[in-house]
Amino acid sequence: MRSPETFHLQNAPLLPLLVKELWEILSGRALWTMLLLMCPLVGYSFFQAVSLYGEASAAGLQSPVLANSLSPLDGILVPTLGASYVAVTLLFPFVAIRVLGLEKESGALRLLVQMPYHPSTLIAAKLVAVVAAWVLSSIPAFSALAMWRLFGGHLSAPETLNLLFGHLLYGSLVGAIALFAASVSESAATAAIVTLAFTIGSWVLDFTVAGHPGLLEWVASLSLTQVLRTFEQGLLSLRLVAGIGAAMCGFAALATVWLPPGIDVRNKLVRSIVCVLAAAIVFGLATQIRLSIDVTEDQRNSFPVADQHALASLVRPLVVTVHLAPEDPRYVDLQRNVLAKLERVLPNMSVGLAGGRQSVATNAGDDRYGEVEYNYGGRSDISRSTSPREILPVLYGLAGASRPAPAPGGDYPGYPLIVRAEVALLWFFGGLPLCIALVWWRSRRLPINYRKPTKEAQP
Amino acid sequence: MLADVAFDIPAGEILGIIGPNGAGKTTLLEVLAGILPADASDVQWLGRPLPPSRRRETMFYLPDGVRPYQDQPVSRVLSFFAGAYRRSVDETTGTIEAVGLTPVLHKRVHSLSKGYGRRLMLALGLLTPHPLLLMDEPFDGFDLRQTREIVGVLRKEVTKGRTLALAIHQLLDAERVCDRFILLADGHVRGVGTLKDLRARTGLTNANLEDIFLALT
Repeated sequence: MRSPETFHLQNAPLLPLLVKELWEILSGRALWTMLLLMCPLVGYSFFQAVSLYGEASAAGLQSPVLANSLSPLDGILVPTLGASYVAVTLLFPFVAIRVLGLEKESGALRLLVQMPYHPSTLIAAKLVAVVAAWVLSSIPAFSALAMWRLFGGHLSAPETLNLLFGHLLYGSLVGAIALFAASVSESAATAAIVTLAFTIGSWVLDFTVAGHPGLLEWVASLSLTQVLRTFEQGLLSLRLVAGIGAAMCGFAALATVWLPPGIDVRNKLVRSIVCVLAAAIVFGLATQIRLSIDVTEDQRNSFPVADQHALASLVRPLVVTVHLAPEDPRYVDLQRNVLAKLERVLPNMSVGLAGGRQSVATNAGDDRYGEVEYNYGGRSDISRSTSPREILPVLYGLAGASRPAPAPGGDYPGYPLIVRAEVALLWFFGGLPLCIALVWWRSRRLPINYRKPTKEAQP
Repeated sequence: MLADVAFDIPAGEILGIIGPNGAGKTTLLEVLAGILPADASDVQWLGRPLPPSRRRETMFYLPDGVRPYQDQPVSRVLSFFAGAYRRSVDETTGTIEAVGLTPVLHKRVHSLSKGYGRRLMLALGLLTPHPLLLMDEPFDGFDLRQTREIVGVLRKEVTKGRTLALAIHQLLDAERVCDRFILLADGHVRGVGTLKDLRARTGLTNANLEDIFLALT
């Protein structure tokens, strides 16, 4: 008789598993249907973005001052990929659930879990297939970017890659949630409801609690839609990347725990708690990472270079106390124009709201409302401005440093472009869907004159 | 619910787990394979305890009523299993020919007849290298001629050193292929042994398995 150690898990080749997962996701109608739906969705967004950009460019071509506000990141990339985001939120869960849900429903999972792969390997392979599906589903968005270049439009590689990376992370996170949902649910329909509860629930969070102070603000920050905002601003935040990575690994680990059918529910619950705690710890550690990179061509998230260097030398703690309500537009301006930039460059800075959960209404009679107090090295000063032009001299004054001379050159030129984009509509409403339908039909064709299995998955 | 079920399987044997629908045959196989949690179970392999997490190193379970990867051609499903278990093309081709799957290699799994679906599952089981193969209703969907053909395939597999445990509710099929039997009813073992042993126990000297089962349950 053969010994029990006939083979070991680590000896199993991964390639057949990956090939199987990719074929499974390619064979389903969900991916191709989503692709076909995305063509007009992304295409029309792109067409509108190009048209609006062209209208704005008409004024920009007359004035260099107006031209330098014309950034393809804001004008073309964000709205075009925004349409892709909507489709990923609403449709991608159905594609991702398929990689596990069908196996559960058909009973094939009972074969798969007996095969020489660890459950974590099975989930990892499925996640790879989900990422591949995201790449395929982004074909309309990729073709929009290519068309923009063909029109003569400008694309900054760091901005574009950063934003695409953000969308990849978002798609992967939705995929990981879908795998977890498919793992805990008995049917694909239930899994879809669970996943949509996360994705559409994020929208609800945004609409209902965003802009509120305190706990509600923290809850709103957990929304999945927050994932993309930093990337859309042109920032590559390691805190965000690590946080999303922790969340993805957490959901993948939970999917792994709930995958094997031979473990009782109590055991799975205990393991799930361990996974959630581990993910929460990693998530908490990730929030401590402050490093972020401004990848925008116009460096909109940074002060001028000379100021960046000068501010980086301020090593003592800077404490900023803001006498504004979080929903006050002045606070939003201050945050965007000054505080966010300071947090990126100053190693030791803290910001606090005076009065905690104050609001505009309750502070109407407060004389100090609107003040921002800066405390550095035991000295303090107060300003009501939200502009770095006025605040930076205050900080230099507190630090006893002189304001550096601005470095010459390096101004962002802006990229005005007037172009008629009707041809894009033809492509997205006709050419691209036709190409996708042809590839779909081609992928559905069965092998002819088959006599023996292909060697594609053979060692 | 299963209770007080204890038995052993000698190497190179075809063991038949016999019983009517609802007797607990499938539950027993799934608990054995480690894909169904049990309140208390102890499986030993060559005298050593075999926890559920390690069962898939020694045994493979082919469930009843499963059509895996229905959108894929049969050849692709077989390729996946052959690749995962590092089977050579010759070994894979031999298995395909042995179970008679050649005519449907290019067909999608969902378009297979019940018999060919069963052959596909059998081929997947034969491609695995496990010493012990557990099969639930392996002859369901086959006519008499096909059943005899598959019995021959299974017998050949046993001569290669494999051990088979088959859950069968058709007693004639079981009598045709199995060396030893476990008679299950209502989750309890009613008898264990060869046909000769069971005849001796019941005192029915020329009885077939059907008579013995009725006598014991």
